[in-house]
Amino acid sequence: MAPQLGIVLVFFFWPALQAIEQAFYVEDAFGLSREFAGLANFEAVLSDATYYQALGTTLVFSLAVALGAMSIALLLAVMADRVIRGARVYRTLLVWPYAVAPAVAGVLWLFLFDPTLGLISSLLGNVGIDWDHKLNGAQALALVIMASVWKQMSYNFVFFLAALQALPKSLLEAAAIDRAGPWRRFWTIIFPLLSPTSFFLLVMNSVYAFFETFGTIDTVTSGGPGGATTTLVYKVYQDGFVGQDMGSSAAQSVLLMALVGGLTWFQFRYVERKVQY
Amino acid sequence: MATLRLNGIHKRYPNGITALHGIDLSVADGELIVVVGPSGCGKSTLLRTVAGLESISDGELMINEQRVNALEPAERDIAMVFQNYALYPHMSVFDNMAYALKNRGTPKDEIRRRVTDTARLLDLAELLDRRPRHLSGGQRQRVAMGRAIVREPQVFLFDEPLSNLDAKLRVQMRLEIRRLQKRLGITSVYVTHDQVEAMTLADRLVVMNGGHVEQCGTPMMLYAQPATRFVASFLGSPAMNFLPVTAHRDGVVLPNGVEVALPDMLSEGRAATLGIRPEHLVEATSMADAAAVLDVTVEMLEPLGADTLAYTRLPGLEEWLVVRLDGAHAAREGQRLSLAFAVAHCHVFDSQGARVPLAEPETQACQ
Ligand SMILES: Nc1ncnc2c1ncn2[C@@H]1O[C@H](COP(=O)(O)OP(=O)(O)OP(=O)(O)O)[C@@H](O)[C@H]1O
Ligand SMILES: [Mg+2]
Repeated sequence: MAPQLGIVLVFFFWPALQAIEQAFYVEDAFGLSREFAGLANFEAVLSDATYYQALGTTLVFSLAVALGAMSIALLLAVMADRVIRGARVYRTLLVWPYAVAPAVAGVLWLFLFDPTLGLISSLLGNVGIDWDHKLNGAQALALVIMASVWKQMSYNFVFFLAALQALPKSLLEAAAIDRAGPWRRFWTIIFPLLSPTSFFLLVMNSVYAFFETFGTIDTVTSGGPGGATTTLVYKVYQDGFVGQDMGSSAAQSVLLMALVGGLTWFQFRYVERKVQY
Repeated sequence: MATLRLNGIHKRYPNGITALHGIDLSVADGELIVVVGPSGCGKSTLLRTVAGLESISDGELMINEQRVNALEPAERDIAMVFQNYALYPHMSVFDNMAYALKNRGTPKDEIRRRVTDTARLLDLAELLDRRPRHLSGGQRQRVAMGRAIVREPQVFLFDEPLSNLDAKLRVQMRLEIRRLQKRLGITSVYVTHDQVEAMTLADRLVVMNGGHVEQCGTPMMLYAQPATRFVASFLGSPAMNFLPVTAHRDGVVLPNGVEVALPDMLSEGRAATLGIRPEHLVEATSMADAAAVLDVTVEMLEPLGADTLAYTRLPGLEEWLVVRLDGAHAAREGQRLSLAFAVAHCHVFDSQGARVPLAEPETQACQ
């Protein structure tokens, strides 16, 4: 127990405490001195229009990533479940996108969608879609969503597949005898029985979309064009490490933590009780 | 109103195991057939092929003389009670029972009426709003029954429906199933490995072994005239005693030289097995025309209340000879007993395990 606790303390709580402390100070341009600023950092953040733009982007992005990654994974898991019946080999093969580092996956997507060289952008050009995520904000957002969905899908897939394989076979057989066709069986038996897994994944995917998509966004669009793909966590990075405004960055991360904390609390409070049977 | 007929049903699983080697069986309308046999003999496979959950490799399955081999489970109009009940855990008892009716598009008020009627029949009326995990084992079992009954199917299939219940509840539910099945008159196939359940429920009993039907007929017929040594050993508790014998001019002779007078039926010198049920061994003093008298020593006693089982040994034989004595019998361990049995209670099996008829009418076929 002690080593894990140590790791959590060093790598999570310590930086978190640092961030909270930092949020109440302003630093000079060289980081040599700082003074207590009360809530000034928070006021500055909350009166900044780009912060609200980032918040909006984050909500659209997170919702799309969580829903996209979960529904595609579920579809694939259902199809795989029919074929494999517990063969572990395939299961591990299907996890590989998750094992690819976010930056590498991001580069892959960059290549495919490069406006001049990319395979997919040239295919899209053939059907009349002018792809240029370097100029078009909506396309840029779509691209980071796709890349993030791709990245998270395999994680969801593994959980959905495991849950599907753990469903008692006799329940589905009973439903088949009870005259439920495959479609109805899915919606009235399988889907409700997967709900604990879906709930767990919803929480995990929200956290992923809020925090862990940083690497993907950085490689694919660097938050652009015009801040169209700047999510809250990316803005924390930009303002803090690029803009060197540590106080604002810290205040934003505190707000972000509060937001995700609140969201997770909401999910447990209102969604979880619906998924128990 | 339905009849069920199996013509030479074979089932080969994709992994190469052949679980059914040509099953012939016909079930009359309203009849309750019990399929019994040891673990792995193919009972569940048989039910599952009838239900349509497993494909039929070879042979014909007829419901009401219509070939249904190619029909989906949903189209066969059968209901099945699973060993683990397979209740939908996220639905209330009501919804569990209503599910099949909803899938069929039955009007709402008819669903309500039928579910409430069935619930009343099974004493479930109070439980309709509960989820399965808030029910006891016996209640779950009744819900599983209710779910099958409410559909009014052509054929009922039961796969060891009572094996997860304790002994007392099992007896109670056994009677309940019998009562409901007769009252509703639904053609049923009931699988169990419990021979008491099999004997008490069945209109006709099918004994399976290794993917074959060993014998089928009324419980009493199978008990009185087992066609094979396997059937003889499977039905009856405690099991029939088997003694190695050699055919002889006037019957058979035990290894220790005791002669048993039987009608002439095997050529002299052939090895055979003599079977006698524990309840057919009685004290020699109370029998006039015994086939033979055996002098045994009581080695162990098992008082069961109404009866006492005596495990005895015959000098010169390795096998135990189990005797069912009256509970009031004053037998002691180490005591000597003289046991006699009648010719009518002797079962002789040849070296392949087939019954050697002692001039009695032969058993009926399964078709
Ligand atoms: N899905 C399957 N794939 C391959 N072989 C199977 C399958 N199901 C059953 N078998 C095999 O078929 C044979 C019959 O199995 P079955 O389940 O019908 O036995 P059973 O009589 O119901 O046994 P029990 O009393 O233990 O339930 C067994 O040898 C079993 O291993
Ligand atoms: Mg079985």
